[in-house]
Amino acid sequence: MATILCIDDEALGLQIRRAVLERAGYQVLTAIDGPAGLALFREEAVDGVVLDYYMPEMDGGAVAETMRLERPDIPIMLLSAYINLPTEVVQLVDMTLLKGEGPLELLEKLRLMLRSAGSSAAGLLS
Amino acid sequence: MKPLAFNRTLRQLVAVPILLLLILATFLLWQIQAAGRAQRELDHSDRITDQLQELQNHFIDQETGLRGFQLTGDPAMLAPWRAAAGPIQSRFGDLQQRLAGDPAQTARLTRLRSQYSQWLGFADAVVHQNAASLNAAGMNQRGKALMDAIRATLGAMQVHEANLREEQYRHARWLQRRELLSLLFSFLIVGAILVLFTRHHVRAISASYLRRIAELTRRSEELHDSQQWFQTTLESIGDAVIACDMDGLVTFMNVVAEKLTGWTLDDARGNSLESVFRIIHEETRVPAENPVSKVRRLRSVIGLANHTVLIARDGHESAIDDSAAPITSSAGTMIGVVLVFRDVTEERHMQSALVASEKLAVAGRLAASIAHEIHNPLDSVANLHYLLEQETDPAQRAEYLRLAQQELGRTMQISRTMLSLYREPKAPIRIRLRELIDGVLLLLDRRLQHQGIRVETDITDSLTVEGFPAELRQVLTNLVVNAMDASGPKGRIRIRVQPAEAAELRGAGALIEIADSGPGISPEAVSRLFQPFVTTKGANGTGLGLWVSMGIVQKHGGSIHIRQSDDPELPGACVRVFLPTRTFAGETGLSAAEPVAQP
Repeated sequence: MATILCIDDEALGLQIRRAVLERAGYQVLTAIDGPAGLALFREEAVDGVVLDYYMPEMDGGAVAETMRLERPDIPIMLLSAYINLPTEVVQLVDMTLLKGEGPLELLEKLRLMLRSAGSSAAGLLS
Repeated sequence: MKPLAFNRTLRQLVAVPILLLLILATFLLWQIQAAGRAQRELDHSDRITDQLQELQNHFIDQETGLRGFQLTGDPAMLAPWRAAAGPIQSRFGDLQQRLAGDPAQTARLTRLRSQYSQWLGFADAVVHQNAASLNAAGMNQRGKALMDAIRATLGAMQVHEANLREEQYRHARWLQRRELLSLLFSFLIVGAILVLFTRHHVRAISASYLRRIAELTRRSEELHDSQQWFQTTLESIGDAVIACDMDGLVTFMNVVAEKLTGWTLDDARGNSLESVFRIIHEETRVPAENPVSKVRRLRSVIGLANHTVLIARDGHESAIDDSAAPITSSAGTMIGVVLVFRDVTEERHMQSALVASEKLAVAGRLAASIAHEIHNPLDSVANLHYLLEQETDPAQRAEYLRLAQQELGRTMQISRTMLSLYREPKAPIRIRLRELIDGVLLLLDRRLQHQGIRVETDITDSLTVEGFPAELRQVLTNLVVNAMDASGPKGRIRIRVQPAEAAELRGAGALIEIADSGPGISPEAVSRLFQPFVTTKGANGTGLGLWVSMGIVQKHGGSIHIRQSDDPELPGACVRVFLPTRTFAGETGLSAAEPVAQP
């Protein structure tokens, strides 16, 4: 089963999201800010990242940039309460999701993102 | 010619002729005296000649009487002889006196006297002789010789006197001629001097006078022109102008003032300013202070109260912006008051629109925070809803429901905070500044955290001010956002709120100081910052924030200043906002004064 790394500074929202993802069968790692998330990203075998954009100190854009540099094959979904995210950040990640779009949308997008990542990875391997 | 020189010349013009005439008169007087002396000497000589003639006549009378007696022996013939004796003696006395100054004549007179005495002796002898010897030849011869001697002496005296008179007469004539000539000559000289002297001076005076007249004419024309110019200028300017005297009675108003007040100058002249220029507060409708008495009290230019409405004669109302200034005479005394005002109704509408647009801009700037704040809990609620659908364990379901409730509560609170930006009580209320600032910081918390900006607060807890919370929240939001923009990521902001004691021209209140660690602000920028559409943020700013903030603060009776911080720890800009404990903004609910009835 795929392992998802969830990074969000909203502790309560993070726990609820974790419950949703776990119920859908994923293994979930959580981090409360960018640096903690990056540490997990480096240590653990992660299949995908669900990343909040708007965080103190180090925002989602900066976290995604570091992840891309270190492991460009890991797909990243950027969550945001913003309607307008900076374009360069949108181009950096695989998928974006507006908070409030609902859990079904989250799960569907996550599934699509992992599948396309898996197929491209498989393609690369073959 | 200067007035001093002019007066001196005038004095000379009067004094010099008088002096010359006085000299001339003295000279003439001397001449006349000399002539009079000569005339008196002539008269003296004539009198002597007359008296000598009289003496001679008396001698003849006596001699004739004596002869008659000699011839007839009749004593009656001696009557003339006797009659002449007295006058002869008195003539001798007179002549003695008159000839006192002439030794030669005096000597002759003495001789004459002795000769006459001798003759008298002879006559006496004749009178007392007997009749027979009366005509003795010797006797006659002697008498004749004596009388001849008398005649000779008398003749000599007469000749001498005649000569003397002739001499004196010539002298008198000479004097007369001299007098005439000198008179003529001195008149000529004095005349010439006067002509030369006065001609020069009169010319100078006349030139000066003409110049003065020309200058006065020119000045009077200039004065007239300048009066016309000022009149026309006052008439033509777009602002309304009303001038009053010290009693507050209208003396002048221009066309614009006539239009705005509804009074014509002819009607208004002499009326009190209060009746012509009726002003009230825009919101409270309380009559505003009469500007004339205010200027008289302060003796300086005053801007009249903000939010003033002028009520025209027909009841029409216009929002006005006005100022009043004392009119001072050249001596520095105050002689009246001039009011300048203009219709700002349109401007006021425009300002309202700008204020509204800034309010929207503030909301827009907060939208990101708000979206985040609302979408986060909404996302959680949606997730919880999904989990609830799939969960069968009642305990777990109850937990999810509680969490959902909590998140919805948070959403409600955010929405309330957001709405409070727009909802406003009608009258000012008492506001705890601590709560107000905490609310603002809560709203901005996300952005502050995102940029890693640290906010330090030093707030006197119990401090309250009167006012409109939404407006003041807008001001503080604006100032904190400015400080955030200035200090940048990882910057520092310090908010300090302290009580401010009453000072000159303001009551007690609170001083809010917001300092940042940004690059600071130049003095040139400070002077422009409170003008509308001035921004240092390029396309990201509307340029209205500080302008609107200032309007709000001033409406509350406070003041706002920006300066360079002098704290080395926070070297950026430092904004100071003073808010009074009691505000006069919208004092409808707070003032007991009767509002002006709508006409």
